[in-house]
Amino acid sequence: MLSRSWRHFYRRYSQSVTFRTTENSPSQHNENQTGLFYTMDKDLCKTLFSHGGFPRSFAKQTKTFTEAAVMVRRPALDVIDCIKASDLNKPAVRYLLYGENGTGKSLTMAHLLHYAFENGYLIIHVPWVSEWLRRLPRHKEMSNSATHEGMVDVPLDAAAWLFHFKTQNQAMLKSEELKISKDYVWSKRETTPAGAPLLALVEHGISRVKYACDVIDAIVKEVKLLSDSKVCKTFVAIDGFNCFFYPKTRLYTSTKRTVKPEEVTLTHSFLELTKNDWTNGVIVLTADQLAIPEDHAESFLPKYLLYKKGFEHIDPFVPIPVGRYTEKEFLSCASYYRDRLWLRGPAEIDTELKLASAANPYKFMELCAPL
Amino acid sequence: MSVFIKHYKASHLLSASNVKFFRFSSTAADLPLKKEDDDEEFRVLDIVKKRQRQQRRLNKRTDIQPDRSDRMAIDQKWGNVWPGPKTFHPSSVPLPLRQGYVPKGQAPPGKKANAELMKIPNFLHLTPPVVKTQCEALKQFCTPWPELLNSEEAIEKHYPVEIISSNYCHASPSIRNPLSRVVSLRVKLSDLKLDKHARDKFLRIIGDRYDETTGLVTITADRCPAKKQNYDYVNYLLTACYFESFNVEDWEGEKTEDDMEYYDFDRNTSRKNLINWYLKSKNEVKSMSEEEYRDFDISQIDHAEVYKNAVSKIMNDGESDDTLRSYDEAVRKLLGLPQKAASS
Repeated sequence: MLSRSWRHFYRRYSQSVTFRTTENSPSQHNENQTGLFYTMDKDLCKTLFSHGGFPRSFAKQTKTFTEAAVMVRRPALDVIDCIKASDLNKPAVRYLLYGENGTGKSLTMAHLLHYAFENGYLIIHVPWVSEWLRRLPRHKEMSNSATHEGMVDVPLDAAAWLFHFKTQNQAMLKSEELKISKDYVWSKRETTPAGAPLLALVEHGISRVKYACDVIDAIVKEVKLLSDSKVCKTFVAIDGFNCFFYPKTRLYTSTKRTVKPEEVTLTHSFLELTKNDWTNGVIVLTADQLAIPEDHAESFLPKYLLYKKGFEHIDPFVPIPVGRYTEKEFLSCASYYRDRLWLRGPAEIDTELKLASAANPYKFMELCAPL
Repeated sequence: MSVFIKHYKASHLLSASNVKFFRFSSTAADLPLKKEDDDEEFRVLDIVKKRQRQQRRLNKRTDIQPDRSDRMAIDQKWGNVWPGPKTFHPSSVPLPLRQGYVPKGQAPPGKKANAELMKIPNFLHLTPPVVKTQCEALKQFCTPWPELLNSEEAIEKHYPVEIISSNYCHASPSIRNPLSRVVSLRVKLSDLKLDKHARDKFLRIIGDRYDETTGLVTITADRCPAKKQNYDYVNYLLTACYFESFNVEDWEGEKTEDDMEYYDFDRNTSRKNLINWYLKSKNEVKSMSEEEYRDFDISQIDHAEVYKNAVSKIMNDGESDDTLRSYDEAVRKLLGLPQKAASS
């Protein structure tokens, strides 16, 4: 028994490679921490990512590992450096994360969300655009928009998102400063007067699902105004942004006609949000091959995925490539997996695993699963 | 014939001339008659005709001359022996040539009666001394090469248009060859003085006659029966295409962005984005008309030129790691962000 625990102790604490950093604040991360894992606070994970934000496999892994440890990687540091250096009084800068499948675009975004949360940004985070436009559960609630002629609403998804928005910005929304600028009349009896807090608008959208899409539209406009008038600073994160530009969605109107993405009210709102005609904001987007069907997933480069239209919509943007693990990152990841008992066996298999997974983070994780 | 038989029996040493003589003077028909006369011996039925077969003997020709190739003088003029292209002939070539399938343990077949040697084309009429003498003979018809055309560049500069046609010479009743009418005209596109619009239109008119890799325009004509006519025709085509490309038709104004064959930054949304961003960052938001956008001078924006080039490069050359990196750098410069740290 003693020998076993001794071995356990030895395995756990005699790692030749340091793979953890105790610096848990993203704003303090710098070059020295590249390749090291930092642990996100549990409560923070709950606020930020309880309604999506982590890729599904990673969410599962956090359960297995009983912690949400995210590697500090260069793309995230790069964006953080840029945000720190940029002047918020200038129009919002757009960053586009792109890279092969499974290289960690969404996790880089999660890291950045943590940074934004820590620095008191108002977070507008869309966990996965395809959830709205491409994933079809059996009862996808759809209705024709009452306010926009010829457009389509997805009220349930919109309400779910409003809830997500509310959870992420609990603290921010409590402040009284976030007031809306004009009256919103929803129906004869329902109005949100000017000067009401933004939270009221959100609550209204959640309780009156019918108006959820219009509420989102209103929120987008209000947030832009608030940021422009320097009341708050806003962090926009949209994962799978290229889905807005793929010519088709999987939604059908009642006449069985395929809906184009620009005919969905949510698309309209979020494209409005990603324009750079407002200040005091940071916009982080990802272009993901998984967000769109396989017939247009031959390349992971931004112009191909976004089409010319999407490219011009966000132009000028800062392209941030998210690549495979470097030598150092791979080593640290392997040590971390060993620590979590995700990877066992002799140390020699690391080289083989690296070769087999081509240092792709997701593939490496998959390959280690049965070991 | 009886005499012959007697002689035959008496002596085996018969000279060739004798045999010849007797054979000419005898016939096969009188053989049995003579025998009957001489002695009444029992006639053996000679079914196989053994005797007669023995008699037949091939005669060796004595008047064969030695091969011509063996009698050739060492210092003869080869050009006279083999003046023009022709099929291989063993007696005319004093060379120990061998050619063909090599049986195991044997040498390849010799030159006589060798179909392999006759099949292949030979250049025995083009030996260096012959070529030299022919060139000497042709020299009197030539003029000296212009001294200033001393390099390829000089030739290209003074004679930009190249005419390519072929002459055919062969032995047949007609000296005409239908292929000799074909005339090609070749000119470098850069030698034509075209402006931006004209160049675009010229390329559209000539279609696939322009080779992008070499930059050459090749116009070929073969529709007229004579070379002269085709030559005139290619010249006409070049002239017509050239001047047509300068004409601007009314409908050319309707060209939209989708019809563009290349990405022109000045006509695209990115330019508007850039101007909007610039105005917004200076807090001078105003709605501008198309004309105002067009007349806006983007050179007042810092790093706009680099950015413009980077965007055009991505759109025109396609995106790759290189073009994206240059775009990244340009955008960071434009937006005033720190450059990416060199990856370790």
